[in-house]
Amino acid sequence: MTTPPDPADLRFPAESMLTEPVMGEQIPVDDEVTARPGKRRSNSQFRDIWLRYRRNKLAVVGLVVVILLIVTALLAPFITPYDPREQNLLNAIEPPSAEHWFGTDVLGRDLFSMLLYGLQLALLVGVLTMLGSLLIGVTMGAIAGYLGRAWDGVLMRITDIFLAFPYLIGALVIVRSLDPGRTKGVGPVIVALVILGWTTTARLMRGQVLALRESEYVEAARSIGASSTRIVVRHLLPNAIAPVLVYAFTSIGVAVVAMASLSFLGVGVSIDTPEWGQMISQGFRNFGVPNTSFLWVFPSIAIIITTLAFAFVSDGLRDSLDPKLR
Amino acid sequence: MVRAHDIDLDTSAPLLEVRDLRVHFVTDRGTVKAVDGVSWMVGEGETLAIVGESGSGKSVSAMTILGLIQSPPAVFPTGDIMLRGRSLMKMPEKQQRRLRGKEIAMIFQDPLTALNPVFRIGDQIAEMVRTHQKVSRAVARRRALDLLGEVGIPNPPVRLNQYPHEFSGGMRQRAMIAMALANDPQVLLADEPTTALDVTVQAQIMALLEKLQQDRNTAIVLITHDLGVVASHADRINVMYAGRIVETGSTDEIFYQPRHAYTFGLLSSLARMDHRRQERLTPIKGVPPSLANVPKGCPFHPRCRFATDECVAAVPPLEPVAGAGHLAACVHSDRVGMANDERLAL
Amino acid sequence: MGKFIVRRLAQAVLVIIAAMLLLFLALFTLGDPFATSGDKAVPPETQAALRAKFGLDKPVPVQFLVYLKNMFTGDLGIDFDQRRPVAEMLAAALPYTLRLAAVAIVLDILIGVVSGVIAAVWRYSFADVLVTILTTLAIGVPTFVIGLTLRKYLSGELFFPAVPRSAFGPEPFWLAEVLLPAITLAIVDAAFIARLMRGSMLEVMRADYIRTARAKGLSERKVIGKHVMRNSIIPVVTYVGIGIGVLLGGALITETIFQYQGVGYLLYKAILSNNNPVIMAVCAFAVIVFVLLSLLVDILYAFLDPRIRLS
Repeated sequence: MTTPPDPADLRFPAESMLTEPVMGEQIPVDDEVTARPGKRRSNSQFRDIWLRYRRNKLAVVGLVVVILLIVTALLAPFITPYDPREQNLLNAIEPPSAEHWFGTDVLGRDLFSMLLYGLQLALLVGVLTMLGSLLIGVTMGAIAGYLGRAWDGVLMRITDIFLAFPYLIGALVIVRSLDPGRTKGVGPVIVALVILGWTTTARLMRGQVLALRESEYVEAARSIGASSTRIVVRHLLPNAIAPVLVYAFTSIGVAVVAMASLSFLGVGVSIDTPEWGQMISQGFRNFGVPNTSFLWVFPSIAIIITTLAFAFVSDGLRDSLDPKLR
Repeated sequence: MVRAHDIDLDTSAPLLEVRDLRVHFVTDRGTVKAVDGVSWMVGEGETLAIVGESGSGKSVSAMTILGLIQSPPAVFPTGDIMLRGRSLMKMPEKQQRRLRGKEIAMIFQDPLTALNPVFRIGDQIAEMVRTHQKVSRAVARRRALDLLGEVGIPNPPVRLNQYPHEFSGGMRQRAMIAMALANDPQVLLADEPTTALDVTVQAQIMALLEKLQQDRNTAIVLITHDLGVVASHADRINVMYAGRIVETGSTDEIFYQPRHAYTFGLLSSLARMDHRRQERLTPIKGVPPSLANVPKGCPFHPRCRFATDECVAAVPPLEPVAGAGHLAACVHSDRVGMANDERLAL
Repeated sequence: MGKFIVRRLAQAVLVIIAAMLLLFLALFTLGDPFATSGDKAVPPETQAALRAKFGLDKPVPVQFLVYLKNMFTGDLGIDFDQRRPVAEMLAAALPYTLRLAAVAIVLDILIGVVSGVIAAVWRYSFADVLVTILTTLAIGVPTFVIGLTLRKYLSGELFFPAVPRSAFGPEPFWLAEVLLPAITLAIVDAAFIARLMRGSMLEVMRADYIRTARAKGLSERKVIGKHVMRNSIIPVVTYVGIGIGVLLGGALITETIFQYQGVGYLLYKAILSNNNPVIMAVCAFAVIVFVLLSLLVDILYAFLDPRIRLS
């Protein structure tokens, strides 16, 4: 490959010498790839992934936006002087001004602050949902795919039942059942999204493992007496994980939209919480009032930016993690 | 509507002739010279084999003859393809299409992927018939039935209504052949027709092709990397390397008097059944060159055991060696000849 | 084939019953509808009396079986709010949802398939780039944002009747009423279909059998229209089928935004008023329709792809 070296490699020559043998370049590529594909990705593999990722301009933009969003969410208290929960009914539904950049909502809360704290919440829910689904889904999928038989049957039937629910319907039923007192916290929302999210991850993982289980390098590992755990952890997981990770990143955006949808329908978080769907729902209830579009337009834009950014990142990941998927 | 017989074909001209054909692909990494100045012809009832490693340009030549190479990215700097004296390359696409499948048909390497999985075998053959002949559905179907029988598929009435995945590999290739021969083409291009098949089935398929060729006097252009397939079935052989023909001659000439170092290398790496005692097989070292970056001079010189400075200086032209019609593009054809005599004497 | 259908049907019935049980537990046992207001607002004795009245004091399996039995006789219970039979409410909302789903699906397929085909056949052209950009945006923008925007800026007295319509006014022409919600739904789905169609066609166009079709001398129109289409439509059919399943179960968000009197809006209102029998009925309906549509898609898939039929 004739690409100029990554600045990072120039900065830490000692480190790359430690991890990469000097002769590394002379080993034919084929050996590395076909003989031990289950091996941990080396530094150069990460660099290849990054090089492929960089080719997708939108994905780079998405990554920059995602990083900006995370930084903004973390710094929210320092960015805005207002407490997003502080109500001021005398100053309700004020259009954008120098004091309140994005205006105030029906309770007189500063919309800009609410947006920032809404971002915090959205990212938190998105990431927790992703991690939860990933953890359960990958474990269950790997077990079902590798052990097969009864394990597989049970898992498939369970996922069948969960997949029988249209996403939003399933989510609202679960949230309601977990929150009979209607306290409308974030917990039930996250749990509901994980319950619905892990099934797809598990099925993806199972499919990957099923396909890889019969592959030659796994046979080879088995023939030299490697244990099941070792085969799954060292050989199957690293190779099966690519599409699963891609899906996981997509699911962050899905979770953000799902929470907003739930709140919009009055099932998600309570009106006290600064949350985008809740904010949009307020705007919707004041639809007839002239000049109140800012109530729902700003949070809508926030959702669009977030979902698009994550979608671009997962697109880029798909292309760079596994070129064959394209 | 223009049918194939409307197109003015000169029956006295050679059946299929390729003249100085060049097919280049312009890519980011430079120009890939897939075919770079190739000429040959094939007559009625004749079998011409084009032999070479993958990436030597043999499949691209065949696809070019059918007009299936997209341009761009492909360009054709020189050359022409003549069918009975008519230039295929200057012909408008619409006319070319009437010849495609009618006068020139093709069978492919992997009959599973080459047959459409969602259509019945019978329908796929009938479609070939109806594309080029004005006949009713029923007639086309009957023709498909006959063809299946002719290529040795048992129980054609049942097989007609089956899908490709219900056929075994050999049966699929028979169906593919039936489809290719549906319009009694004058030329049959066979691109690695047996490579994807079991060895026993390979022989059956080749025997079938030979029988059908005798019945119809079809010209066959047999494209393969497998000298073993070629030996018993080809009349003439073109050996290709890096987009060029490096040696051409009758099958006997190529097998018993190779004059190009590459041909010699190929034969030395082949196990010989007629041999009295065990010999060491000598593989050709190295890998075929990238077509975007063909070595200077004789493209084979980096892998050649006869190579000298002379080989790097210029591309050796195809020149007559012993025997009429036996040409080789090798500076050291004499030394190759002597080395070959030694090998045969063992 | 017959055996395959029977097996899948049995599977679907089991899945439906299991899903219904989950729904029932979630809505009536875990989410006890009479505990929601707290003991202060509704004294425990009253709660108990209400539970007894609605049969919620019996063991859960009995409750569930009674519910299933009643369901088969068309009795979905009485709603908590105005004591109307739930089945009637559902039946009243159903035609609206059917109309909306039908119009949305037609738009989906028209817009999605056509733009997907154009993008694939003229790959890298201006049209392709345009389709890619538009689909990316449409998929990235949540349904409720699209819906709100359309309702805010497009719905007027003239083109699309202003919603919500008055309960006492004259019934508006159904197509006029259905158009905006249908477009809202179609925007996202059509984008998905376009992408799926494009990707699927590009993949099929690389296949060996397409080269064979060209080698037969078929015209490009026939190669694309017959050989490529027939293969690349298979994943699209699957997606559309599942999509219909979701739509028939009520387009929750869209119907809510346009206050369109379908099943989805019924559910929304039921959620607001904690009307559990209605929630149960609509969710059960959505699940049943969704599972049956998935079953239909499986059968259709086997019909479209002969390779599936044997295994």
